[in-house]
Amino acid sequence: MNNNKQICIEEGTQTAHRISLHEQKVGFQARPDVSVLVSMERAGQHLIAVGCRGGGCGQCRIRILQGDYFSKRMSRAWISSEQESEGTVLACRVFARSDLLIEPDPPEVGSRCQAAAQHDQ
Amino acid sequence: MKKGVMRPGHVQIRVLDMDEALKHYVDLLGLIEMDRDDEGRVYLKAWTEVDKFSVVLREADQAGMDFMGFKCLDEGTLDRLHEDLVAFGCAVDVIAAGELKDCGRRLRFRAPSGHDFELFATKQQTGKWGVDNRNPEAWPRGLQGIKATRFDHCLLYGTDLDRTLELFRDVLGFDLAEQVVTPDGTRVAQFLTASMKAHDVAFIDHPEPGKFHHASFFLETWEDVLRAADLISMTDTSIDIGPTRHGLTHGKTIYFFDPSGNRTEVFCGGDYHYPDHEPVTWDADKLGKAIFYHDRQLNERFLTVLT
Repeated sequence: MNNNKQICIEEGTQTAHRISLHEQKVGFQARPDVSVLVSMERAGQHLIAVGCRGGGCGQCRIRILQGDYFSKRMSRAWISSEQESEGTVLACRVFARSDLLIEPDPPEVGSRCQAAAQHDQ
Repeated sequence: MKKGVMRPGHVQIRVLDMDEALKHYVDLLGLIEMDRDDEGRVYLKAWTEVDKFSVVLREADQAGMDFMGFKCLDEGTLDRLHEDLVAFGCAVDVIAAGELKDCGRRLRFRAPSGHDFELFATKQQTGKWGVDNRNPEAWPRGLQGIKATRFDHCLLYGTDLDRTLELFRDVLGFDLAEQVVTPDGTRVAQFLTASMKAHDVAFIDHPEPGKFHHASFFLETWEDVLRAADLISMTDTSIDIGPTRHGLTHGKTIYFFDPSGNRTEVFCGGDYHYPDHEPVTWDADKLGKAIFYHDRQLNERFLTVLT
């Protein structure tokens, strides 16, 4: 029981940061201990594509134009070290340390199965 | 025609953080840690497997699959298959015994799909975990989480499905159990088996070679799949889709992601295949139902999220 109370106190004391999309009037709040991507999902928004949520698939690639953040390891298949140093990151591995201004940068992938599926729908 | 390839033997998966990965594969999925090596790789198995390990995790800066290995009947079979692979046009690397701990020599080759596969015949047998082979009890106590029973198959996305089928059918003795075909006759998905299972390995057509969709683990019952779903929610684990049923193979399933973004499936049930069975065919315009039998609609993520 104590444990649960502890979690509540921690959640209450953490400052949420505002994540805004470049040249759009949309955004969401993100706590520093929840990734930018999952914060967006919890806010019920669909501004960044959601993939694996683990830094492996590249779907949630964004560019961070302004603000401070902490990032965990991201697959080099999608983010080179140059890109990482210039602020191109995977939203599922990034935690806001201030308000952020971001821009989605999804990679392009496609298959014949996907074409068939789109035809199906 | 059978060529002496018995079953999926192991898969080596790249993870971005080993400690996080072990929480997924051991605490949640219920695999058992069997060993570690000097490279930092961790060797895991599911409890019903007789060989020492079936899943090897390697920390790396990219997620995905390093290779999938199939176990063959004996060392003589390996010698024959080595010649047949070379005749087919595959470059074969012989990896010395012991490179994977307690595993014999392995023949490594790249399929036209862009994936690396291995054949081996010898691996230390530690027996089923927690039960004896003589008068065995039903199951062992002390299993964790989802209590996966065995590593079952991989689904891989890649190029040149036709030539990949020729390799697996003509050289390695797999059967085409199920397929998805477009109106112009192009096969865009193929489920291959070396056994009675609906699939030991499956491929979906994709412009980029060598991509990993998921590693799959077998459960006994639908109740077990629902219990897995509960555990996935309790741990706030990244979910893909399910619980649901596939049209292809008719397995009952749930998909979720490891902390590096590699997809994991646990499933139960499904069709069986004998060598005299014609392949089961799904039309590509029914792909939604073929993949998700209840929703009858694909989620974009299932086709595009790969490592």
